[in-house]
Amino acid sequence: MTLPSVADSVEPAGSTVGSGPPEEATKRRAGADLFRAVAHNRKALVGLGLLLFFLVLAIFPGEIAPHDPRAKIYPRGIGPSAHHLFGTTAYGEDVFSQLIWGTRQSVLIAFAVGGLATLIAVLVGVTAGYLGGTTDGVLSLITDVILVIPIFPLIIVIAAYERNSGLVTLVLVLGALGWSYGARQLRSQTLSLRRRDFLEAAVVRGERKSYVIVREILPTMTSLILASFLGAALYAVLFAAGLQFIGLGDPNSLSWGTMLYWAENNEALGAGMPYWAIMPGVCIALLGAAFALLNYAFDEISSPSLRLRKLEARGVDAELPAAVPARPPDPKNVLEVRDLSVAYASEQGPVVAVDGISFDLRGGEFLGIVGESACGKSTLVYAIARLLGAPLAGEITHGQVLFKGRDMVTLSDKQLRHIRWRDYSVVMQSAMNALNPVLTIAAQMRDACEAHSTMSKREIEKRSREVLRLVSIDPVHLHSYPHQLSGGMRQRAMIAMALLFTPELIIMDEPTSALDVVGQRSLMVQIKELQEQLGFAVIFVTHDMSLVRHFSDRLLVMYAAQVAELGRTDQLFERRLHPYTRGLLEAFPSIHGMNERLVGIPGQPPDLLHPPEGCRFAPRCPFVMERCRAAQPALLPVDGELVRCILHGEAAVLETASKEGVA
Amino acid sequence: MNESLLRTERLTRHFRVGGLLSRQSLHAVDDVSFEIGRGEIVALVGESGSGKSTIARLLARVYKPSQGEIYFEGRPVSGLSTRGAKLAYSSDVAMVFQDPYSSMNPVYRITHPIGRSIALHRRDVARGKQEYEVEKALGEVGLMPPGRVAGKFPHELSGGQRQRVGFAAALAVRPKLIVADEPVSMLDVSIRIGVLNLMSELREREGLSFLYITHDVASARYIADRVLVLYAGHLVEEGPTEEVIRRPKHPYTQLLLSAVPDPRAPLGLSDAADVGEPPKVIDPGEGCRFRDRCPLAIAMCETVTPELRQIGSRRRVACHVAEPD
Repeated sequence: MTLPSVADSVEPAGSTVGSGPPEEATKRRAGADLFRAVAHNRKALVGLGLLLFFLVLAIFPGEIAPHDPRAKIYPRGIGPSAHHLFGTTAYGEDVFSQLIWGTRQSVLIAFAVGGLATLIAVLVGVTAGYLGGTTDGVLSLITDVILVIPIFPLIIVIAAYERNSGLVTLVLVLGALGWSYGARQLRSQTLSLRRRDFLEAAVVRGERKSYVIVREILPTMTSLILASFLGAALYAVLFAAGLQFIGLGDPNSLSWGTMLYWAENNEALGAGMPYWAIMPGVCIALLGAAFALLNYAFDEISSPSLRLRKLEARGVDAELPAAVPARPPDPKNVLEVRDLSVAYASEQGPVVAVDGISFDLRGGEFLGIVGESACGKSTLVYAIARLLGAPLAGEITHGQVLFKGRDMVTLSDKQLRHIRWRDYSVVMQSAMNALNPVLTIAAQMRDACEAHSTMSKREIEKRSREVLRLVSIDPVHLHSYPHQLSGGMRQRAMIAMALLFTPELIIMDEPTSALDVVGQRSLMVQIKELQEQLGFAVIFVTHDMSLVRHFSDRLLVMYAAQVAELGRTDQLFERRLHPYTRGLLEAFPSIHGMNERLVGIPGQPPDLLHPPEGCRFAPRCPFVMERCRAAQPALLPVDGELVRCILHGEAAVLETASKEGVA
Repeated sequence: MNESLLRTERLTRHFRVGGLLSRQSLHAVDDVSFEIGRGEIVALVGESGSGKSTIARLLARVYKPSQGEIYFEGRPVSGLSTRGAKLAYSSDVAMVFQDPYSSMNPVYRITHPIGRSIALHRRDVARGKQEYEVEKALGEVGLMPPGRVAGKFPHELSGGQRQRVGFAAALAVRPKLIVADEPVSMLDVSIRIGVLNLMSELREREGLSFLYITHDVASARYIADRVLVLYAGHLVEEGPTEEVIRRPKHPYTQLLLSAVPDPRAPLGLSDAADVGEPPKVIDPGEGCRFRDRCPLAIAMCETVTPELRQIGSRRRVACHVAEPD
């Protein structure tokens, strides 16, 4: 199976500014961000350095070159000397000076062609993508035709026909043929932006089409436009040199390609003038490398997943325990999580998204894990299932996950493959993303079966039909593609796949959040029925407490990477000991009873990069006291429940405070 | 009801689906007629795919109706021809979007949409005063302190804060009606109430009208005066929120209400899971669109599309079977 996208897990960049250092947050700007990213990227620095070097040569050749590049007054064909760094040509010209003067043309061609090709690419790509319809059809056709034309032969033909016509023709021809790749990328990017709400918002507010294209769409594509420019510039440098080398440029021009052309004609390598032939090639390669490095660097900067960092490099010690558990696991428990911690690397340091969480899960039990977005609940279950990885490189830094007595944390990928899906399975948040859109349901079930068992084709088909029937999907849909099913059916198909081997544990990460209430309700009832029928244990992650109210045996309320409260669902709902639990419960409007004004939980969860000193809920807590801010409360047992709040056992205080606080 | 602000008459929107030669059409919205009064909050409730967002975009003039008409303050919206008239309409009717993560351009500061709204629609505000007006708008939606919030980029705000910026941008045009398309469905439960309270406050303070689009009946009850229930592009029930919730007439409304999760209400697990699927509304033909899931369906439901009819003094329902009390 493929790695999940950890969409709902912690955002390591610290999306909540409120609690971060405020000065830094307000000062931060997009430009400064880019600058810092460039300064930290070795490829970008080397690329920029090279480009700057060639730019200086191109702008000030007269000041830098020691001799007149065209003066044929020096000894012919001599090797390097103090006077002539790279020797002279067969005609008595200084090679070093020619190289420096030749830079100007290569750089000029690179920038002119890059600019022209990018301009055309932007005009064609963005217009096609935004306007769509017939305009898109015609423009895309032209783009595709140009993309498949064998460009080099064509350019040779044009250049041969227009021989000696000079730089302008060369730039026009290269520019006119070099935009199609960039245009296609820009078009597809625009297409993906077209459904974004901010463009619709601009239309609703009354902006003109031209404004939407120029001021809303283009700025979001800076990195792509830059990439298109760098790509075209690279192509121009190489093509121009190639054409001049085969003699299709102006033979009297001062350029690296022309130097190569004359060096080749005079067999410079064999005639004791090696630098005449080698150095232009080196320069072309270096200028090309500058563009390529910059292109690569901007790719990295705009998609951070290309530079995953290991935590060790950022000062976090992963102290994984020995394989033998200190305390033998209880055989009645299918899962024991002990003091589990998970951290993500971020630019500003490690973010601890799961902070010392422990809980047990009995066979056949239904545990709900409830919390706000970015509280670490998804990270927790992905860590348990050992599915952490790209795009967010979370790592288990401490603790044990004992699944049927074995510590999952220390298992190798190979050992994991034996138990994953057979003994436990995972149902993802969005079935549309988790199912492969180009394979039928049958094919995806077959893949899962073949990867984890030795079932025959017939057995697989039979089992697939069985599990579909289990989740009330007519087996005729076995050979449907995911998009042919409704949202509710896709989500049930995911559950059917999780049931293929009747595992002992199914982990569900917000499986119903993409459904509306009727579908949500029917899926919950179905999960509960299947659980009673087949006896598997369930870990159910959700942000919606009301959803698990009637289905879970126990609830784990998570706040800011820690357990706030853990206990029997009915008891927890009734007593609502932790103020956070109470706040969550009182945040729901109801269709029953009086329609009272509610307050929700004001404020927002803390930034996990800088969690508050004392109780993590203190900044939002209506019952906060001085003591709460001093030290973090421990998770303590209160009548068979675990609560992390110093109010526990002081119910009287809570009662009085609630009358004043929530009224 | 108060004086009418916006009225739709048999509003219909079809989309062509399939390839170039396809003649299939998807009936997103069919014959929908309703009114929104001044200072009224009307909830439009329905499941995904029922046409809620299409109605929002028809009202905001992102789509043109296939048939039918929208009247704003008595004048037909299709008659707006000049740029000036269209701009005037977009300053009367603003919109708030569902996804706070995609409704703001990531390259601009969060003040960008607010500033643009002021520049486009409030010519009286001098350039030098714009910044002051932007901060005032941020303050009005409870983003404090406005001066510091104004310097931020979208990724620096939480979902709830971004949604408040969305309301600030909508307010900045000084609208009479805000169409809010599922403004809280992507927010955490703990902060949803804050945004709902904001809508009530704006109605009280500014006398604004809202069309609140949602699939969550409980939140509709929390703020809306009236509720419209949409099923597969048809309006199936309409009435004052409390009455509809206490005595739903249409079988779909009844199903919807029975599925609302409520931590405070007891629930028997006995009711069987309803695995009925919403209908495909591609070339649907005549007949009630709910009939295949309906426990009360009769022969007539197969052939005759039920019209919305008056039932009781302020309620309407589109069902052959439903009876008045």
